[in-house]
Amino acid sequence: MRQSDVIVIGGGFAGLTAAAVAAKRGKTVTVLSKGVGTLTISGGTIDLLGCGSDGRPFASPAAGLALVDPDHPYSKIGKEAVQAAVDFFLDLCETAGFPYRGNLQEMKWIPTAAGTIKPTCLVPKTMDTAPLAETDMVYAVGFHCLKDYYPHIVAKNLQKLPGYDKTYHIAMVDPRFTAGRDVSALDIARWLDTESGRQDCIEQLRNTVKPGAVLLLPPVLGTRPDYQVLQELEQAVRCRIIETVALPPAMTGFRLRNLLLDHLKSAGVRIVEQAFVAKAIVENGRCLAVVTQNSDRERSYSAQAFILANGGFYGGGLLAEPGKAVEPIFHLPVKAPASQTQWSNPRLFSREQQPFAKIGIAVDSTLRPLAENGSLALENVYIAGRSLAGYDFCFEKSGNGVALASGYQAAMMV
Amino acid sequence: MEKASVVVIGGGATGVGILRDLAMRGVDVLLLEQRDLVNGSSSRYHGLLHSGGRYAVKDAAAGKECIEENTILRKIGKHCVEATEGFFIRLPEDDKAFEEKWVEGCRKVGIPAIPISPEEAWRLEPNLTRRIQSVYRVPDAAIDGFRMAWQNVASARRYGGRVRTYSEVVAIEQSNQQITGVKIKSFLTGAVETIACDFIVNAAGSWAGKIAGLAGIQVHVQPDRGTLLAFNHRLSSRVINRLRPASDGDIFVPHGSITILGTTSSPAESPEDNLPSTQEVLAMMKIGEATFENLGQYRLLRAFTGTRPLYSADPSAKGRGASRNFVILDHAKDNLTGFASIVGGKFTTYRLMAEKMSDLVCRYLKITTPCRTAEEPLVEDASPQLLAKARQYFPAYGTELAASRLGAERLEKVVNSMEQDPEKRQLVCECENVTLAEIETAAKDSTSYCLSDVRRKTRMGMGTCQGAFCIFRSVGAVDSQNLAWGQSTNDLLKEFLQGRWNGIRPILWGSVLREMELTRGIYEGMLNINGVIDNETK
Amino acid sequence: MKIQHNNPDSCTACTACIAQCPVTAVTRKFRGPKMVGPALERMRLSQEDTEPSLEYCSNCKNCDIACPSGVPISTLNMLARAKSFKNRSHSLRDDMLAHGEKMAKLAEKIPGGAFLANLGMNLGGSLGLMNLAGIAGERPLPSYAAESFLRQFKKFKQQSCPDKVVFYPGCFINYNDPQVGMDFVAVMQANGYEVIVEEDFVCCGSPMVATGYLDEAGEQARTNTELLKKWRQQGYPVITCCTSCGLMLKQEYQELYDIEGMAENARNLYDGCEFLLLLADKGKLNTHFAALEEKVLYHAPCHLRAQGFGLPALDLLELIPGLRVENAGAGCCGIAGNYGFKADKYDISMAIGEKLFQRIKDSGVDTVVSDCGTCRLQIAHGAKVETVHPLTLLRRAYER
Repeated sequence: MRQSDVIVIGGGFAGLTAAAVAAKRGKTVTVLSKGVGTLTISGGTIDLLGCGSDGRPFASPAAGLALVDPDHPYSKIGKEAVQAAVDFFLDLCETAGFPYRGNLQEMKWIPTAAGTIKPTCLVPKTMDTAPLAETDMVYAVGFHCLKDYYPHIVAKNLQKLPGYDKTYHIAMVDPRFTAGRDVSALDIARWLDTESGRQDCIEQLRNTVKPGAVLLLPPVLGTRPDYQVLQELEQAVRCRIIETVALPPAMTGFRLRNLLLDHLKSAGVRIVEQAFVAKAIVENGRCLAVVTQNSDRERSYSAQAFILANGGFYGGGLLAEPGKAVEPIFHLPVKAPASQTQWSNPRLFSREQQPFAKIGIAVDSTLRPLAENGSLALENVYIAGRSLAGYDFCFEKSGNGVALASGYQAAMMV
Repeated sequence: MEKASVVVIGGGATGVGILRDLAMRGVDVLLLEQRDLVNGSSSRYHGLLHSGGRYAVKDAAAGKECIEENTILRKIGKHCVEATEGFFIRLPEDDKAFEEKWVEGCRKVGIPAIPISPEEAWRLEPNLTRRIQSVYRVPDAAIDGFRMAWQNVASARRYGGRVRTYSEVVAIEQSNQQITGVKIKSFLTGAVETIACDFIVNAAGSWAGKIAGLAGIQVHVQPDRGTLLAFNHRLSSRVINRLRPASDGDIFVPHGSITILGTTSSPAESPEDNLPSTQEVLAMMKIGEATFENLGQYRLLRAFTGTRPLYSADPSAKGRGASRNFVILDHAKDNLTGFASIVGGKFTTYRLMAEKMSDLVCRYLKITTPCRTAEEPLVEDASPQLLAKARQYFPAYGTELAASRLGAERLEKVVNSMEQDPEKRQLVCECENVTLAEIETAAKDSTSYCLSDVRRKTRMGMGTCQGAFCIFRSVGAVDSQNLAWGQSTNDLLKEFLQGRWNGIRPILWGSVLREMELTRGIYEGMLNINGVIDNETK
Repeated sequence: MKIQHNNPDSCTACTACIAQCPVTAVTRKFRGPKMVGPALERMRLSQEDTEPSLEYCSNCKNCDIACPSGVPISTLNMLARAKSFKNRSHSLRDDMLAHGEKMAKLAEKIPGGAFLANLGMNLGGSLGLMNLAGIAGERPLPSYAAESFLRQFKKFKQQSCPDKVVFYPGCFINYNDPQVGMDFVAVMQANGYEVIVEEDFVCCGSPMVATGYLDEAGEQARTNTELLKKWRQQGYPVITCCTSCGLMLKQEYQELYDIEGMAENARNLYDGCEFLLLLADKGKLNTHFAALEEKVLYHAPCHLRAQGFGLPALDLLELIPGLRVENAGAGCCGIAGNYGFKADKYDISMAIGEKLFQRIKDSGVDTVVSDCGTCRLQIAHGAKVETVHPLTLLRRAYER
């Protein structure tokens, strides 16, 4: 049986954050992961908190933190810990040479591929919209054959929005892919990773755009967690560039994940991939070990503390059956509406949160799970990320935010 | 004022069948549909082209009609019919005596029912339950309601037939007990206009009572709810029926990439009473598990509900007890000439129903041209040359699908577009293999007003991800072609995703719930199309 | 128990596999794991057609590792690949690459055959004959050892011990790299184990599956399953030191075939380093290591990562005093079994490995450690460094 101080179950953003924090605190950490998490799907912006349960936007994430429901994970974590988590993250990215921008006192409204803007908090430099204040001339840049991105939609819709009422032009760049599969943002980013791709792109942009403008691009500025592509393009074209939020695969999340993996490797964190955690060995309210069950056999991993960060329904941390939600490893109670009809609203999009999105595990202020009667269910197990009850990350725009704060807090508690 | 000799009300199977039949006989005919074609019961059923076996015991006449029409449709509609064949399987709990009656019934009606051993059945369909007692092969087939409608319309258009969708009939105009026209209201703009005509065919299915009512005539149509389930892949290659009296949740129909299980039966509150419930889903799953024991392990895509238009001269007959035969009511008997309703019946016999109705209309109009819908194919086959050319541009597993959806004429346009511009070869819908060229062609059709209409023509958004990726691309495609029907891109996205949600909501567990976390993550979380806007600070 | 249900139903089309696919990263000819795997699987159940880009899947399993939904994507691809050969025949190239064991046995039967075969392959490479056959002439084919592992092992006098393990050498160790097998025996002896080698074991079938010979690999699976069962029933753990053999015997057999006893056998199969680390965890590992003052880089084979027990070699090597081991963490090396030996895949294979080669060059090490034989070949070829199996280092530390 392998021994660690801390075992993190789940290799998504919450799990990797928890591992980084625990390792920084001098713990030996093992991450048991299944799949790569959702960073490469959802992207690398840290949405802290955009709006309340009524859909009205908060002036700043900090302002929102003061107003969330008592059952919300942020209420359990507390403002100070959220602030500390943000500081930790910004510091980590800075040290890794890929600084993020933003703070809790400011709501950032960033443009999306749908031509909407969405509230967020921490963004890579490539998504910082500050340059927009300096110009009235905006180019919505698209790439030929990139079927997941339509610059005319971006331009048409954005210009109606406050702060975005500028003069818009469309510029198309041709990556000159002649044959092969359909083009994704990943293909363009890899093209821009190459010297020749960058030069070609620069050449094409120079012929179309006027210096001094802002260019809105799909998130394609390279695959690596650095700003080399951004800087080279900005300097050569003499324009500022902003990446928008677009459909998966999300390069911004791809970069952040690679940054975190590199960091964890240097911090000595062991990551066990394809580890299907099936059950836990619990004695007297303490978890002694978790057991993986792969196609060959079971393997036990013991530790002093366990952080459960396996991503709710999507990651398999919670399983939904007709009218019932279960947590399959520790069999913790899951808070869910009693009947299937109450799990969701008749309207997919409305001014109300979706009840199923808030299904999860109830915890105390240390993020430890609660039993049905409200007492502590397990002494040394902590919950982080989407498996937590009480927040609809899509609606309130807290994707990656709750993951960051709870991952941080859980690792501070172990 | 727009004029037509004959107005057909209702764009379901019967309506498009009548449109085609009359157009082919040289009649100036216009079809009016309140929403999109086959948006009602004709697409909300299991898509089974009956061999007639289902009716062999209870209703020999219906069984005979079925096998005859089945044979005709395989021939004229081979691009919308998948000749899968079917099994009737008897399980231990099913009455043995019924089997004997059934075999005899099939023999009398002329339905070939060939007994095979359970072992042979398992070899052909490995997922079937091992509890089978006896198995018969019958010439069941799958028929795609969407394609069938579009191909009827395509055929009708060649003969001058016209179609207006999203045109709800709000009044029937008459003078001296003689039809003079209809008043329609646009569902999209609310604009009202009158169309002059000499004859009106009421083929409004579950809405037929309502339409007749506009002319002050009583027609008793009792809509009956039937809920169905779509599974993510083919569980079997053949239609699987239970060999027992018609009952709930016991027919599985493989349809292209998916399987449909149907259906329930319960009185509907109205023709629009078509949101499926979790209760119905669970009840059907339970019954279906007798046929496929692993049913619970297969992924559901969605649930959907249609209303059967059960007609009865006696308004108290209900559900499966009511007759499934069709009836033509010439309202001259109700002192209104130039008006007839066609009610009841079933999808399999839509062509026959259309023929009989058209015969009546032609007698009235003194037209003697005979019906030819049983001889002429709905759409032309694509030539081998065209198919070979198409294969160069379509992705694998894409050519045959597109060819049968589009027919030769439209396929050629799509292929030319793909030949000229490689960008058009891209797959907008990666689950159902639908290219950009096909999406654009469907969107350009005069009957398309939103992306759900494009979906029904192409299958875009009907696969695993239920639109999570392809809807964004479709919006981009129609917007860049200026085909967005005056709607905002956000509204296009929302309309489509809400439509999908209606069928997902009752089955929100397992992979379906996971997919929904992803879909919401993209559209609500990342793209914020639900519109939290920074009105306050900016 | 069949853990994986080979159907596409759990896929959410999320694109995670595409982002992690090493082949997709370097060529646009491959439509990517999601499209070729779960998306087309639904089509394959209803239509006859073939997806040409299926041939680009290297079966490296990074898609399976990436998938948040547990879809056995690469297995769906391999099943589809086998199906695509139902109506067409294999090339000579595929035949050669799938049947390394058969070819090695032929070479072994002739006196001096290994030498002649190696000479032939070298000559073939330089004359461009390999390229004609569809095999990459740019890279050396794995040369045959003058004496196979089995022959060396039979001559070797082991100390008899009460604790015994059965060793599954696999083709690569047996014919091409017997030293790893001998190192394994030495290490086990140093830990008080006697090694039994079952001579009737046959090729695990992994190269056959990757080349579309599914049924033939199934026969291999049946043979091996019977033998593994025999040793299991006698209570001896079975150990592999080749990660692809291990993955095949434990996991892919269960995904691809339905043979009685597979699942029970899988419980009794161990990776060499994993087994030793288990000894360490129990305090039973012989830790009388001499210092190895050396810095090495460790490359984790994809087929090891796919097995779900981490990187035991890293933990094990850390026990050797003086040895500084760093995890390269640079992803797939590009060879993927026999994939990189195909002439038309050579460039792809090398482009995939480029990140790793660069990492090795930047690190300045002379030695790269990896558990997989073909990974070691690729690294030696691409980065021009010495490559060793972790057990070789372990043996050195015991014997120094």
